[in-house]
Amino acid sequence: MNPGKTESVCPVCLRRIPAERVPRGEDIHLEKTCPEHGFFSAVVWRGGSGAEFGKWRSYVPQETGVPSGCPGSCGLCENHLNKTCCALVEITRRCDLRCPVCFAESGGGGREPGVGELFEIFKKLADAGNTFVQLSGGEPAVRDDLPEIIAAARRAGCKTVQLNSNGIRLGREPEFARALSEAGLSFVFLQFDGMSDDTYAKLRNIRLITEKLKAIEVCDRFNLGVTLVPTLVPGVNDGEIGDIIDFAVKRSPAVRGVHFQPISYFGRYPAPPGDGDRITLPEVLRAVETQTGGKFKIRDFNPSSCDHPCCGFHGDFVVLPRGKIMKLTKKYNPDACCADDAHLKNRSFVARRWTRPVIGADADTSAPPGEKSDYCDMSAFLSRVKSHGFTISAMAFQDAWTLDLERLRRCSLHVSDGASVTPFCARYITKAAPTP
Amino acid sequence: MADGNENWTCGKCGAALEKKKTVFSYLGRSFTHDVDVCPVCGAVRIPRELAEGRMAEVEEQLEDK
Repeated sequence: MNPGKTESVCPVCLRRIPAERVPRGEDIHLEKTCPEHGFFSAVVWRGGSGAEFGKWRSYVPQETGVPSGCPGSCGLCENHLNKTCCALVEITRRCDLRCPVCFAESGGGGREPGVGELFEIFKKLADAGNTFVQLSGGEPAVRDDLPEIIAAARRAGCKTVQLNSNGIRLGREPEFARALSEAGLSFVFLQFDGMSDDTYAKLRNIRLITEKLKAIEVCDRFNLGVTLVPTLVPGVNDGEIGDIIDFAVKRSPAVRGVHFQPISYFGRYPAPPGDGDRITLPEVLRAVETQTGGKFKIRDFNPSSCDHPCCGFHGDFVVLPRGKIMKLTKKYNPDACCADDAHLKNRSFVARRWTRPVIGADADTSAPPGEKSDYCDMSAFLSRVKSHGFTISAMAFQDAWTLDLERLRRCSLHVSDGASVTPFCARYITKAAPTP
Repeated sequence: MADGNENWTCGKCGAALEKKKTVFSYLGRSFTHDVDVCPVCGAVRIPRELAEGRMAEVEEQLEDK
């Protein structure tokens, strides 16, 4: 089998068609031809320098053939290759923003599942062993009964409950944030695109940096860990990668890490993308190294093990006093890629890094204090890694131009609506929007 | 090693063990911890609660995703 050959969909009609990963100079493009709508090419990997496409792809166990229903009639089937790490549940379509770019095309109304109905979804997930849920939308915090929803997820057996939020209401209504914390919320995935108001004006149609800082402050007050989630858009905020990381390190332990999401084009977006509208994972990695002045290096990161390795990367760190960084990422073990328990390891990893320890739970009077500690003492190390663990990670979602079915079959981020469980990119993929 | 309540002696040398800061190379990192060490041959006693407690916690914290 030609390793470059795969399958994808036509961006116009979403019909499944053969595709090929083609080297173009130092880049890799996904190219395909629809018998009706013609030829399409999209860059999926730019350059190498420590994150070579061939090497990362080689970690995936060889598979042949994609089942006939994939991805058109997708709901997880026996042919899906990775298990659910994290189940996303949409609790509303409403949103208090109207971003020009939104994968979920939020902003509409429509019927919302009640707390009882959501409990049944959570219970079904938890009973199947899927105990890590993300509450998403829309903007979940527009729901006044969000504390009850979180409590329902906990009651149903979900051990980790993540909230995907723009943070506006959390910052404005501290008592609401307190209620979420008391209901059992584990941590917040905070939409955080940059350090300047201009970035938010471009990406979200509104100046928001004050609201973002306030949300972090309020979450800190109620011991809710915050992971910053920038949507990276070339020419808008790809020059802020280092600034965002610097800020996150300074705000540790309130901020638990940064999770970059290169922009994908599904749902709502201004126009069909050209290659200049894309930023790929190796570019993000190179930017992390150069924009942090080498404080974080490409070699400090590993490809994803519980999704396809070309779908994401992560680095594991501890923030020490004065912003020094201890690096914990180990040498990548290719055998761990897509292993049967990879979803469990990932679930455990993100839960312990992104959740803040209960205040006082790890007080250890035998641990040497603060600044001069080398953290070689086992007790001091444990105390610090729990309180100041820090991650930098990324996930590259696939849209109708970049969808590679080999990657899709390895997805472990799944969307559940109670009736079915669907890989994220299959759930949100949309046909090309007409050119304005 | 022989158990005499809290006073351990080295099974090989017969010397009483002494509490000493000891370096462990573990999962690619070095850690120190106070453990009982034989002053003669250097044998180290790892108590069960350390193996199942802090060392297991360190292992869990260092496990990659």
